[in-house]
Amino acid sequence: MTVATLPIERPAGRLRQLVASGIGPVLAVVLAIIVGGVVVLVSGSNPITAYQQMLVGAVGSPFDISETFISSIPLILAAYAVSFAFRCGLFNIGAEGQLYMGAIASTWLATTFPNWPGIVLIILCIVAAMIAGGAWAGIAGWLKAKTGAHEVITTMMLSYVAIDISHWLLEAGPMTPSNAYGTPESGPIPPQAAFPIILPSWILPNARLNASLFLTILAGVVFAWILWRTPLGYEIRAVGFNPKAAAYGGINVARRLVVAMVIAGAFAGLAGMVPVWVQMRLYDSFSPGYGYEAIAVALVGRNSAIGIFLAGLLYGAMIHGSVAMQANANISGFLVQILQALVLFFVGAELLIRWLLRRGGLRALVEAPA
Amino acid sequence: MTAVAPGPRGRLDGAATPHLEMRGITKAFGSLLANDHVNLEVQDREIHAVVGENGAGKTTLMNILYGLIHPDEGEILIDGQPVRIRGPRDAIAAGIGMVHQHFQLVPVMSVAENVVLGQEPGGIVLDRAAAVRQVRDLSERFGLIVDPTARVETLPVGIQQRVELLKILYRGSRLLVFDEPTAVLTPQETDELFEILRGLVAGGKTVILITHKLNEVMAISERVTVLRQGRNAGVLETARTSPPEIARAMVGREVLLRVERDEAHLGEERLRLEGVTADSDRGLPALAGIDLAVRAGEIVGIAGVSGNGQLELAEVIAGLRPITAGHIYLQGKEVGAQPAAERRANGLAYIPEDRHARGLVLPFEIKDNLILGSQSRPPFAVRGQRNSAAIDQRAEDLIHQFDIRPPNPEAPVSSLSGGNQQKVVVARELAEDPKVMVAAEPTRGLDVGATEFIHQELIRKRDEGLAILLISSELDEIFSLSDTIAVIYQGRIVEVMPSATADRERVGLLMAGGTVESAVPTAAQIAEAAATLGSPGVTGDGPHGEGGA
Repeated sequence: MTVATLPIERPAGRLRQLVASGIGPVLAVVLAIIVGGVVVLVSGSNPITAYQQMLVGAVGSPFDISETFISSIPLILAAYAVSFAFRCGLFNIGAEGQLYMGAIASTWLATTFPNWPGIVLIILCIVAAMIAGGAWAGIAGWLKAKTGAHEVITTMMLSYVAIDISHWLLEAGPMTPSNAYGTPESGPIPPQAAFPIILPSWILPNARLNASLFLTILAGVVFAWILWRTPLGYEIRAVGFNPKAAAYGGINVARRLVVAMVIAGAFAGLAGMVPVWVQMRLYDSFSPGYGYEAIAVALVGRNSAIGIFLAGLLYGAMIHGSVAMQANANISGFLVQILQALVLFFVGAELLIRWLLRRGGLRALVEAPA
Repeated sequence: MTAVAPGPRGRLDGAATPHLEMRGITKAFGSLLANDHVNLEVQDREIHAVVGENGAGKTTLMNILYGLIHPDEGEILIDGQPVRIRGPRDAIAAGIGMVHQHFQLVPVMSVAENVVLGQEPGGIVLDRAAAVRQVRDLSERFGLIVDPTARVETLPVGIQQRVELLKILYRGSRLLVFDEPTAVLTPQETDELFEILRGLVAGGKTVILITHKLNEVMAISERVTVLRQGRNAGVLETARTSPPEIARAMVGREVLLRVERDEAHLGEERLRLEGVTADSDRGLPALAGIDLAVRAGEIVGIAGVSGNGQLELAEVIAGLRPITAGHIYLQGKEVGAQPAAERRANGLAYIPEDRHARGLVLPFEIKDNLILGSQSRPPFAVRGQRNSAAIDQRAEDLIHQFDIRPPNPEAPVSSLSGGNQQKVVVARELAEDPKVMVAAEPTRGLDVGATEFIHQELIRKRDEGLAILLISSELDEIFSLSDTIAVIYQGRIVEVMPSATADRERVGLLMAGGTVESAVPTAAQIAEAAATLGSPGVTGDGPHGEGGA
């Protein structure tokens, strides 16, 4: 070429990009806290006390930190399930059902072969949870690819099916142990198959926080690795942004839709196994709606591995911290739900935040490449 | 610029006041100066062309005139009187009317209803008879033949444009602004439009024509205002200028308008279609038995009014649309049933007609778009992992070679100008050393400079032995690039001819459905040909329309 060419520009550092993309959600949280404080004030209580109690309740002691993590982990894993599908342009709002299938499959395996060596059993249980969740989500992906059935409907419907299967199995069904006293629950998870506890007893005796935390971190790494470091992830993201261009690029769109759903479901399956392995038993209706809250966590976390991890911790801290807040500050636990809704609202209202930022003269930060 | 001259009338009539004057118009969008002290002076009863590359500020200037954008500085004078235009309502009151590129008509309403919409005759109830009468009067007065009772959606595009024109005439506009009016017209319809424009001027109207087609500027305008990068780059008198001079003013350097093209050195046959039929997205037959061959080192140009099967033709070759009958041979091998990825691997490249819908993943970075189609092959994927080193290297090479701006491999493609986006597509499609290329509307929406560049690249590759099937609705492009011209009409190749002996008029007639026997098409044929324009095979599928593929 004879044209004068410009030198290749070196883009801004990854760290700066990360900070720039994180600033929106962080501000959303700050705004939510402010507005939530006003709500507390209007309802006649002291917002400072409320937040103080919530903070202390969430991270004030080794026990609380441990419990905050326990609340967070299923949310984080399920949010990976929502986000991974979303990266392929799919709204997986049925992580709840996939999570139930994961819990059922892993519990069934562990309770059926209680005498297997622990290390073998736990690895197989992890695999079983991922396969069950993946298969359940894969049905929705396959229906989408074959018939165009919308995944919002199918994943939602499959959730009800999965939850009802669990009721049937546990309420005097095949998985109810013969010595159960009418409580709908499974038999115990064999102790040798438990995740190792990761808090030493000199910090916290009888801690419940286990190695599933590492599993969650690993899941985040895998999530990002697949999406950004593999051709499969490239193709999934291409399908998510523009299926027509993806097909043009020789990508089998239908197959990618199914694969993305299966991988998403595998994350959800894990999310279902972890709480069972904390309580060491599958209780009926064990999930307080992890799969649904995960949608919010995915949104707040901006569909990125790190973002979701942090957002999940925040949500987990709010959930666990609200216990102390209710008890000590005598403020309804519903404040937490209001807060969560506000965070979500302000993340959604990103344009509003950007406008506020511009007014605040933080233009450079907002216009940094996201 | 050299030839800054006052308008012809201005000189002849002495101190005649211009009908429209825009003085020192300045408008900034953020740090970008879209208009930087732009002046525009249009004499009464003049046809005045405004030309410039994409991003030169034409649209901004016209949107300011029509009140859609408010200038930071500058003033607008009509007949010497300053006017304040705060919105389209003010513009209409000042006698300014605009025929937009995308028509603003209600398809299910009649011509008369569309024309009077907003200023209906009658009280609470629309007086339909009066509306029809008024519209008929108007169309007779200006020689715009339209049936006032026809439903707009049943009309060919050329006629719909007349309805748009009637709308602004009905509002009593004296200054008529046309934004790229010929983009959707056949050559014949374009000629008719120009007749109408001349008639309007004779009837006391003044016309501003925004265009990037220099032959139209030469054919119809009296003076040309050239914009470049938001500034005035000269006012030229059409009679005393030439297309190269206008192009130089637009681009700021010498531009090769005529593509330098040596004799073709034809090689072996690379692409062959035999009796190929296929359906449109709506399930209607779109290709009715296509026979076609392209040899190495040859550019075969498909001329036709868009919507006659061009989109489907490109897609069946690329493997993005199933064929219902016939055979497609790529380098001698039947590929009619192969998926798109395999055809790519076998040396096929495709510049799709719509870079946004097909050719690019807009939110992806430049470097990721530059490997679309090769993402799973070495060196970009090794042992199941992406190879960033190879991906970065390809990006650097192609950005350099094609001068893609900004030269930032990690900029999202959505942030690029149309010309640079198209460069990304072309660069990528040429990078895999293809044997056959389908180039559909390779310069659509591009300015003179980018068009020149892409034409040169195509010619260069053709000289290196690439077989190119060029699909374009721009006859100029077909004629200047093709070695062989094939005319498509209603899903059939109606004639194939060497471009050296091809006659423009005849190609135009064939495009409109005229046959060789009856050199002049009937009115019905023209209307039919134009009607197909209204439904360019745009897919109406959902976001995952390819899901079942």
